[in-house]
Amino acid sequence: MTIKLPQNQKIVFETISLTEEKTFDQISEETNLKSEYISGASFALEEQGLISITTHPISEFSLTDEGSHYLQHSLPELRLYEAVRLLGELGTKFDLPQAIDKSSLDKNEVSVALSNYARKDYGTINQGKIVSSREFDIQSDPEQVALTSINQGTEIDQSVIARLESRGLININQLTKRSVILTKKGASERKKGVQISKSITSLTPQMLSQGNWEHLEYTTYNVEAEAAPHIGGRVHILRETAEKVKDTLVSMGFQEMEGPHADSEFWINDCLFMPQDHPARTHWDQFALSVPPAQNLPPDLVKKVQSAHLNGVGTDGDGYHSPWSEDVALGVDLRGHTTSLSMRYLSGQAIGHLEPPQRFFSVEKVYRNDTLDPTHLLEFFQIEGWVMAENLSVRDLMGTFTEFYRQFGITNLKFKPHYNPYTEPSFELFGEHPRTGKLIEIGNSGIFRDEVLRPLGVTCDVMAWGLALERLLMLMYGFEDIRDVHGTLCDLQLLRSTEVSY
Amino acid sequence: MPVVILHPNLLRKMTGVETTDEKLKEDLFNLGLEFDGEDEDGNFQLEFAPDRLDRLSTEGIARSLRYYYGQDRGVFIPPLNPPTWTIFLRHPILHKRPYVTGAIARGIKLDDSILKSLIQLQEKLHDTIGRGRAKGSIGIHDLSMIKTTETSDGMSSISYRGTVPSEPSFVPLGLKEELTPEQVLESHPTGKKYTKLVDGDQQFPAFFDDLGLFSLPPIINSARTEVTIDSRDLLIEMTGTDQWTIDRMLNIICYALEAHGATLEEINIQTPDGTVRKPDFSIDTKNIDHARIEQVLGTRFSPNDVIDLLERSGLDGKAIVPPYRGEISPQESQYRVAIPPYRVDVLHPLDIIDDIGRTYGFHKLKPRYPAVATIGGRTANSSLERAIRQVLIGSGFEDLLNFNLTNKTENFSKMKLKGGIEAYGYHDPVEILEPYSAEYTIIRTWVLPSLLMVLENNTHRAYPQNLIEIGFTAKLDPTKDTGVGENHAIAATITHSQASYEESKSKLQVLCQRFNKRLETLPISHPTFIEGRTASIVIDGEPKGILGEIHPEVLSLHGIELPVSAFELSLNSFI
Repeated sequence: MTIKLPQNQKIVFETISLTEEKTFDQISEETNLKSEYISGASFALEEQGLISITTHPISEFSLTDEGSHYLQHSLPELRLYEAVRLLGELGTKFDLPQAIDKSSLDKNEVSVALSNYARKDYGTINQGKIVSSREFDIQSDPEQVALTSINQGTEIDQSVIARLESRGLININQLTKRSVILTKKGASERKKGVQISKSITSLTPQMLSQGNWEHLEYTTYNVEAEAAPHIGGRVHILRETAEKVKDTLVSMGFQEMEGPHADSEFWINDCLFMPQDHPARTHWDQFALSVPPAQNLPPDLVKKVQSAHLNGVGTDGDGYHSPWSEDVALGVDLRGHTTSLSMRYLSGQAIGHLEPPQRFFSVEKVYRNDTLDPTHLLEFFQIEGWVMAENLSVRDLMGTFTEFYRQFGITNLKFKPHYNPYTEPSFELFGEHPRTGKLIEIGNSGIFRDEVLRPLGVTCDVMAWGLALERLLMLMYGFEDIRDVHGTLCDLQLLRSTEVSY
Repeated sequence: MPVVILHPNLLRKMTGVETTDEKLKEDLFNLGLEFDGEDEDGNFQLEFAPDRLDRLSTEGIARSLRYYYGQDRGVFIPPLNPPTWTIFLRHPILHKRPYVTGAIARGIKLDDSILKSLIQLQEKLHDTIGRGRAKGSIGIHDLSMIKTTETSDGMSSISYRGTVPSEPSFVPLGLKEELTPEQVLESHPTGKKYTKLVDGDQQFPAFFDDLGLFSLPPIINSARTEVTIDSRDLLIEMTGTDQWTIDRMLNIICYALEAHGATLEEINIQTPDGTVRKPDFSIDTKNIDHARIEQVLGTRFSPNDVIDLLERSGLDGKAIVPPYRGEISPQESQYRVAIPPYRVDVLHPLDIIDDIGRTYGFHKLKPRYPAVATIGGRTANSSLERAIRQVLIGSGFEDLLNFNLTNKTENFSKMKLKGGIEAYGYHDPVEILEPYSAEYTIIRTWVLPSLLMVLENNTHRAYPQNLIEIGFTAKLDPTKDTGVGENHAIAATITHSQASYEESKSKLQVLCQRFNKRLETLPISHPTFIEGRTASIVIDGEPKGILGEIHPEVLSLHGIELPVSAFELSLNSFI
């Protein structure tokens, strides 16, 4: 009796040789079948004892960033050798710093060069002197040659592989290759001839419409095989965090605010009772813009704010001993905080007069003229929130923020008394890191001063707080350099592989 | 935040309380001074918020700690001896720096660490309330080196007046040779640093005694009157643009000197308007309501508690509502609170409530969720933006978030945009007046350049790279109150070996369909895109954006080696 095999298995079976091992790739090439079918068919054939599969571990090499660098610029020890040779004769002692200087190696490369120079027997380094002791062609250095071979995919000198890996210049990827050969049983079965079994590879619309799917068998897949990669769409992780913050605040009864990025200093600073000669109001901290002075500030409000600055608020209030001029207030800047929006809303200028109680928030961009580093950006998102009600106490403030941060896994809030020109009392918020348990700063808060609220026409209490969204993100994900995430230097791979948070 | 440096041993000596370093750090934290490391001499570096300027030195911090430890209570005013010195304001009167104040401190015992601490206090006051010496500057001199002729009534005098930049010569602190005032500005390191404060003035402010100029505020003192550890009697002079400010700076300095055993003595300031005596140690008072204290702190107190807390904060409090039926009714009580003359931060009764809270311990207060009901919600724009993002992500795009700040090279040149052409994205940009970095000098006028930059920086990452950003853009617009036209735009790029106009258009079609918008794409030229493969995006009859295949020159300027198709349109297309 002849055996029956599904079509793919039959094709593969007939391609496999009794004398010569063939890899899956070779068979794929000969049969024009996709490799996932080859492996599926082969395992099925092996199960029936018709073929045998051999696995061969193989190593694939690739250059690390450092390795690629040296491929282009030569290994540091070679450059050092070259520099020494340029300085003069073999066997002559030269000052090491002079040689290093000549070689143009950077700091990291210097230590690499020094530790390999003697090992490779190019010469000696002793008491600040360097000597080259033999003549050789740096192009023939086995490690350098191996870097080139790896890059070009040609034959590699195996004796240097371990060294290159320990130097961190290459990555070794262990793979498995499979090859197949016919068994004796397979050979004798094949002689008898192979029939196609009724199994099918894909279900077609025809089969479904004609109803003959009932009599079909299906070829088996290797369901464990890795599928082809797919890059799906996804929300940016910082946006995802912003959305979570917005959802949380909306669920706590907060309404969203919006307003201008470029605004007059009046809304950004003066309404916040920041004296006009405050050090943070210099061009070194805020972004002044190339536009004429702002127009259409509400004149009544300007007068009241000016009076708060100069004379204070209330019978026992004092003003600042600082000059105040409307010209300064009219300067247009990029906002350094979204408290400018809070001022616009509280004044009634944004959406009309507000009666307590109210809760408002925004998660919007703010700008600081500062130097960039891993934790500071020129622009970042500020979470701003405030509650307006009669008779608020610092305990209400503590309670609100405790609830908010609990949603993000940050507990055990500590309130460190603090100073802001616009709030009193003021607190820096500290909380326990959700993973490390360390105490970390998570925001700034307080009750708006009378000097802020009364000019705006608010007679009840308003408590407010702010924090950087990026800070929350870094806490939640443990990122160390915010520039990998926010901005044009972002790493797509990092954005793709970061776990979804919800 | 500013940093103040102090030596823990000097601090312990001045408080008289032996503590471990750890306990001391904790006590300092409770005062609002956060430990930020130690220098090589074992000094603490403390970060502080710039409200309590009286805590800019070891002396002030020691005083606060003594209140905190309960060793001192209430307001302390150091005794002042009557004046034996006069400062004459003489012609020409200086309009730019018209105010002056001063004091004498006698019998001080200095050593290296005390001297360092005083120099630091002076520097920190200059940096904060003195606004970099512009508003107020301090000069401290060895009184024994100042030479004058005593008058018959036993008074000695010095004068404050203008002098021309070219004379007289004097030996400035830190040098051995004589320089004129203008030479000091040119060649002395401190002179160079503060040149801008007097640059171009016809008259420089200066103090003179019988031997000549000994202080050139706000720049430098003379070497002759330099304070050393052997100095016993000191003259403190201050000048500035605001009398209140320099008087408070003087008070803070006087309290610090008094803490080291100095006896303070007044100085007469004689102006054409008359004579005043400084320092001014008068006590300011403010009234606060008991009810407001309880309300802000969310806690009940007895009047005695309040007065006790005030005294432990270095203030004095007196209940001013008389007892009702023999007892004070707390809710109606008011307190008259006395504030010592070294405090510069108490502008309003609320500032005193903050002091009470700190002394009571805010950490003792229990959080509570305010029993106030409000309805939450998002703005229409924010909901729309989210909905658009969801549709685009459903179409397989990766969402990005880039900076709104960029530069003209990225925004225009690398996109082949230049003046004289009307093209989407080409607008007069809003520029930053004094940028730190050449990379960030304008607000972007469109979003696509940012996505091209991301592509440029990610050529080593897997493709396809199909990116979107819904982001902020701005341009000059004189019709707006701020002169800035603000907008939000939706930008998308498709990058892989087969990326085409059609693929971008199909994604755009789906988006318009979802929001029931009529999309037309009309042929147009745009330098960023390939001619003949570029269209103006017209939504419901209005031109709103641009669609096409990116020009190979733009790709090559970005080092991108795969074709890119893209579109960008205004977010308001979907409103």
